[in-house]
Amino acid sequence: MKKSFLILGVAALSLTSSCVSNLGDDYNVNPKLAASASASGFISNAERTLVRTVTSSSVNLNPLRFYMQYWAATDYPTESRYDLITRNIPLNYWNALYRDCITDLRAAKAAVPNDIAVPAANKNNTLAVAELLEIYAWANLVEVFGNVPYTQALDATNLQPKYDDQATIYADLITRLDAVIGKFDTSTDIGTGENDLIFPGTSAAATTAEWLKFANAMKLRMALVLADVDPGKAKTMAEATVGKLPTSSADAADLTFDRTVPNTNPLYEDLVYSNRIDFVGANTFINPLKGIAGNATGVPVTGAVDPRLDDYFNQPTSPDVPAGTYAGGNVGRTNNKETLSQPGDKLRAQTLPGVLISYAQVELMLAEAVERGFTVGGTAASHYNAGVTASIQEWGGTTADATTYLSLPTIAYNTAPGDYKQKIGYQYWVALYNQPTESWTQWRRLDYPQLPLAASPLNGVTVIPRRFTYPASEQSLNGANYTAASAALGSTGDNVATKLFWDKF
Amino acid sequence: MRQFTPLVILLTTGLSQVAMAQSRSISGRVTDQKSGEGLPGVTVLVKGTTLGTGTGNDGSFTLNVPASATTLTFSFVGYTTVEQPIGTSPTINVSLTSDTKQLNEVVVTAQNVERTRNSLAYSATVVEGQQVTAARNPNAINGLSGKVAGVQIRQSNTLGGSTNILIRGTKSITGNNQPLFVVDGVPISNANTNSTGQQTGGGGYDYGNAASDINPDDIATMTVLKGAAATALYGERAGNGVILITTKKGRQGLGITINGGITAGRIDKSTFIKYQKEYGAGYGPYFNQADINGDGIKDDYIQLSADASVGPRFDPNLQVYQWNAFQPGSNHFGQKSAWVAADNDPTTFFKTALTLNNSVTIDGGNEKGTFKLGYNSVIDKGILPNSQVNKNVINFAGSLNITPRLTASASVNFSAVTGKGRYGTGYSGTYSENQMTNFRQWWQTNVDMKELEQAYQYEGLNATWNLNGLNTDRGAYWNNPYWSRAKSFETDTRYRTFGNVALTYKATDWFNILGRVTLDSNDDLQEERLAYGSVNVSGYNRYNRTYREANFDLIGNFKARIAENVSFTGLLGANLRRQSTRSIYAATNGGLAIPDFYALSNSISPLIPPTEADIQQAVDGVFANATFGYRDMVFLDLTARRDQSSTLPKGNNSYFYPSAALGFVFSELTKETAPWLSYGKVRGNYAEVGSSASAYNIYSGFDKPTPFGNTALFSVPSTQNNANLKPERTKSAEIGLEAAFLNSRIGFEANVYQSNTIDQIINITTSGAIGYTGRFVNAGTVRNRGVELSGYVSPIRNENFTWTINANWTKNQNRVTELLNGVDNIVLASYQGGVTTNATVGRPINSIRGQNFVYRDGERVVRTNGYYQKSPTSNEEIANPNPNWTGGVSNTLSYKGISLYFLVDVRQGGTIFSLDRAYGLDTGLPVETAGLNDLGNPSRDPIVRNADGTYAANSGGVIFAGVQADGTRNTVRADNSGEDSGATAYGTTANPAAAFVYDASFVKLRELSLTYSLPKALASKIGGLRGIDFSIVGRNLWIIHKNLPDADPEDAASSGNYGQGYSTGAYPAVRTLGANIRLSF
Repeated sequence: MKKSFLILGVAALSLTSSCVSNLGDDYNVNPKLAASASASGFISNAERTLVRTVTSSSVNLNPLRFYMQYWAATDYPTESRYDLITRNIPLNYWNALYRDCITDLRAAKAAVPNDIAVPAANKNNTLAVAELLEIYAWANLVEVFGNVPYTQALDATNLQPKYDDQATIYADLITRLDAVIGKFDTSTDIGTGENDLIFPGTSAAATTAEWLKFANAMKLRMALVLADVDPGKAKTMAEATVGKLPTSSADAADLTFDRTVPNTNPLYEDLVYSNRIDFVGANTFINPLKGIAGNATGVPVTGAVDPRLDDYFNQPTSPDVPAGTYAGGNVGRTNNKETLSQPGDKLRAQTLPGVLISYAQVELMLAEAVERGFTVGGTAASHYNAGVTASIQEWGGTTADATTYLSLPTIAYNTAPGDYKQKIGYQYWVALYNQPTESWTQWRRLDYPQLPLAASPLNGVTVIPRRFTYPASEQSLNGANYTAASAALGSTGDNVATKLFWDKF
Repeated sequence: MRQFTPLVILLTTGLSQVAMAQSRSISGRVTDQKSGEGLPGVTVLVKGTTLGTGTGNDGSFTLNVPASATTLTFSFVGYTTVEQPIGTSPTINVSLTSDTKQLNEVVVTAQNVERTRNSLAYSATVVEGQQVTAARNPNAINGLSGKVAGVQIRQSNTLGGSTNILIRGTKSITGNNQPLFVVDGVPISNANTNSTGQQTGGGGYDYGNAASDINPDDIATMTVLKGAAATALYGERAGNGVILITTKKGRQGLGITINGGITAGRIDKSTFIKYQKEYGAGYGPYFNQADINGDGIKDDYIQLSADASVGPRFDPNLQVYQWNAFQPGSNHFGQKSAWVAADNDPTTFFKTALTLNNSVTIDGGNEKGTFKLGYNSVIDKGILPNSQVNKNVINFAGSLNITPRLTASASVNFSAVTGKGRYGTGYSGTYSENQMTNFRQWWQTNVDMKELEQAYQYEGLNATWNLNGLNTDRGAYWNNPYWSRAKSFETDTRYRTFGNVALTYKATDWFNILGRVTLDSNDDLQEERLAYGSVNVSGYNRYNRTYREANFDLIGNFKARIAENVSFTGLLGANLRRQSTRSIYAATNGGLAIPDFYALSNSISPLIPPTEADIQQAVDGVFANATFGYRDMVFLDLTARRDQSSTLPKGNNSYFYPSAALGFVFSELTKETAPWLSYGKVRGNYAEVGSSASAYNIYSGFDKPTPFGNTALFSVPSTQNNANLKPERTKSAEIGLEAAFLNSRIGFEANVYQSNTIDQIINITTSGAIGYTGRFVNAGTVRNRGVELSGYVSPIRNENFTWTINANWTKNQNRVTELLNGVDNIVLASYQGGVTTNATVGRPINSIRGQNFVYRDGERVVRTNGYYQKSPTSNEEIANPNPNWTGGVSNTLSYKGISLYFLVDVRQGGTIFSLDRAYGLDTGLPVETAGLNDLGNPSRDPIVRNADGTYAANSGGVIFAGVQADGTRNTVRADNSGEDSGATAYGTTANPAAAFVYDASFVKLRELSLTYSLPKALASKIGGLRGIDFSIVGRNLWIIHKNLPDADPEDAASSGNYGQGYSTGAYPAVRTLGANIRLSF
């Protein structure tokens, strides 16, 4: 009897003493989720996401190496036939930039003021870096989709943000870019020291000065995007960058990846780590590099091998293929992995940097700027030569290789066939081999080289996509705004063929 | 057999035992007709009076009866009442036959309150333990399939895989929809630990769900409480219904029961792919060429890496180098071989499954107490090589009457489940392989399985059929399946203990109090391996999880007669629940440094930081129940409960919910006027159940991704938590009618119900443009309404022969009636193949969206190239996995000692998307991808046109049914050669996702048993035996009807919300046949 009361008593006591209302406030706080974070952690994570997204070769995220006909698929050609739908590519791209990049940059900005790891004197620079990366990401979203949520975006209390006009966003981004260029304090470093993944370092020269050059390169780049629709503004912008741009490949805005998964170059994951052979070079690209005629129009037939060919591609693995052979496959079809060239060994290195803006690109942009009548110094030929040389050197070629190549009559700026769009467009195409997103944008602006449509396109596609369609989920999650945005894109609406506001030709 | 219960004693002792003057004493013994055992607690009454007694422990009774008495009635719950005339003999022995349809049986209800069926004002279906184990299913939950109206059970075909249970439909959009399991008052976990990726068909292992840790032979009854009125006392977790399991209790005397059984299973070939035998390896109808034998002439060799059969047409006269020419273990190593379809296709990969299911139960007791000891051993070998799941369960329960008023009881159930080589599920996982994906979606029809096995056995290496090329020994996409099964296996153990200790103190006749502590404790270890030498990066991972749940209960029970005709029972209780889940997952990174060494330290690269979880939850509840009865005819049942949950924000974390139920046993009024109506009751109820969030949905924090070199990374989580969450609520109402006729030879129960689950706490999908792709909100309403019918009839019932038919039918209609403002659809999960499951306003939950056909006047539109036009987006509803109705019919025929039982389980309607078909048709595997076209030519021949553009007589290609864009009938031939696309015209390349949606209906012969019980007289001659039963049992013997080609429409990757209506890497159904012997002493 006594025992029973004791047990009942204990039960009763436990009922009253350890009630939920008596549990501490932190009982419902996840002990395995960080309550605070460092600004540099957010910035580095955003940098990693941004660079991986624009340089990826994943068929779930970035099919642009197919669109630019650098590569063709081996066994599984669906994405090379412009199927964006089955693998939800637009959604993955959209989320990578909005959710995984820009949101972290916003978190970084919020963290900087109270982050004791960032010295007070450097806080402005740290904020400027976050802002600059954010501008890059926004510009990329606009260049990929067109109208996107901007003014109402990233507000978790508004689950249905309206889409803003692409040209208006772009103009605002330029305003923000000018502001951030004025914000960098070159007397001090950027404050996140060796933790920064793009320009790590602890001196102003190694960090702030580099970021400022990158900011100006972006300004030149955005100027050229606008060049066909607002040449006046483009001219002003481009000319404002003179003397402030990267001057060598050391100034390239790139991110050197780590040796260890999951922070290797994404190409390593797809080409090596996966143990798959999903890609071979496309004949559209390999043939011109070999110096022979390909199936793209406006491409020089040099009769000489491009010094980058053996870096860009490997020789086929088949024992029957003679040494020194390079061969490309057909984009849109299945292709033989053994008799065709796979992407080159340099692309397979874990630590291969992922590039946002390369020096070669800067010089080619300057060449184009000259041709467009912008006063940026130098001649079109001098910048063209510098750009091509830089590209060849980036891939391990020598100055002599570049000189030989540039002396080919079909390559030399003054004798190469076609107008500046054709000549510079071809060099953009070759130089931006490992910057597929950037290459796609330059190609959409200049329309050179004139690439053929992939074999048997799916979903009724009749042109190489000029944009990504919006994620399918936008229709149900943000339907009214989606419909308005789709209508605002013009008569063709939310379609891969719809040209964006700056894509005039 | 139903055992006596304290409540019955209580009732029987309440009977007056007035001895009358001119009386005589009659004594006797009441026994169970089947077992011959004495039945204690049987009510013996002089008919027409209240004079009576109850039988003692051995079933004997002594009663003084008046001289006027003519008849005695013997009644006991669960048995048919017997009336016996009083003759001149002073002894009357009676044997009672069990009657599971006895309507005054005792039903265990919420909080283990035992009540007569009469007094229930809600639906509660009792399934006897012997019905659950009729076909000796080692998983007790699967044994419920087809037996209970309103309960939808979906079994998976994997070894030890999980079972999905839905009671009255899906209520929660993103939360748990599985019912609560309560064993003898102990809530036990039925969680599965499968990853989201596994559940959405992405690959992994199905580790089963935890309710299968119960020994089926220990189950006395399973009571299914469906509606909230029945379950509200259990609190927030009971909103999805409750399955109450009452285990067998020790009884007076000593009893031993032994079951020994063995079953064997073979695949049901109607649920496996049937291959075309006309074309072999390739993505396109050509061979590769290289000089392989060094004679300077190029040789034909197959597209080695192609995991497809869209290659050249077979030709026995053609000799080509195939995969086997490059694998040293093959008979054809270094040689060409004839270009023909394989003699041994992948059906030869499957082995005969074997299950040994043995159990022993020992029980006994006396006036002071009872005990029970059980042991169950299941050894389950699957249809795949190297697969085995063992289960060992020990359970003990005992009770001791410390004093006449105080009873102490305890029960403990210990189980150890060990698995080795469970089947990989879904598409492909980092650490798991599913050969079904390989065989159904990506295969070369020229590969002979026997040769593949030889090639593996030759050196024990990964001698794959799928080389990446001539100059490599590495596989392209697939390993040798024999090697995979032998080398890349998982192992797992789950040690589990659940049980309780309780004290009941009977303070007075009308009040007792129960104090109880219950514990459910799980320790899981899962280790997965991908062997060195695999196509994918090798690796090893381990997942350790501990789960603890403790409940502290204090419950007072009242029982009183308020007025002459008004009875009252009630309870007042409090419950504290504490749950803790701690887990850690770690995996090697970058591959294994050396083969066959499975430790985290064998990682090539530094480990990615292990994923830790530490989840603590607490809920406090107080509850009360009052039941008023009037003349045993009208019953009013009221409950109320208030919960306070730690997972909601302070100030918003307590919630109250009531229920009310009213029942009217109208047959009490018609007893005299309509004797043919054995029983009749109408009832209605309304109830609400509140429920809280899962842990950690309130406060924000940051993710900490793997560091980048020496740089720490931080990230904002992709789901945003919400500090303003409030409890969600399910409101439900039910009306029911129960009736039985002709001395209960025929009867039925009908229920109509509706539930609305409102203010749901859901992780709503959001546009990534807000910075998150999910946010916890209170939003959304899901309505379920439905009809349940169940009935029974005994067309023949006599001394020697009985035939009983039980049937049930359920129709549940599910609708998402509301989502967040401005949102008409949210994606619940995305799947390979471009399909998603969704919650759409106005549609049933889990509807499947994907690319559709384009229709014109009801006909599919065909493009100018002969292929179907696809809708511009993948956002069209193409399938709905919810069935129209489900049902089951069982027949039991008994003739003397022989009894035949079989159950037919039916599901009508609902559709399923098959990724197996989408890819398999693409890669040219099923029969219909080959064969002849309308012109009589092989459909895979190229399209040939005459000079005038018309098709030549020898043209290949197929004409798909439909219309052209202008509405005219399609006459355009679609190319089926794979020449351009590497795929046939039937697969996912050429067709929208909607082309791979099939009706998921089925009719299955689910269970069958044929039992012979040795006559008792005979049995008793053998070593003190009380009985011997021999059974032949069969499960899933015959899929009588289905519309999904080549697969079992019921098979699913996992239990839970995900994966419904999605089939990938499906395992074939297994037909199981075996024998069991049951000995009782």
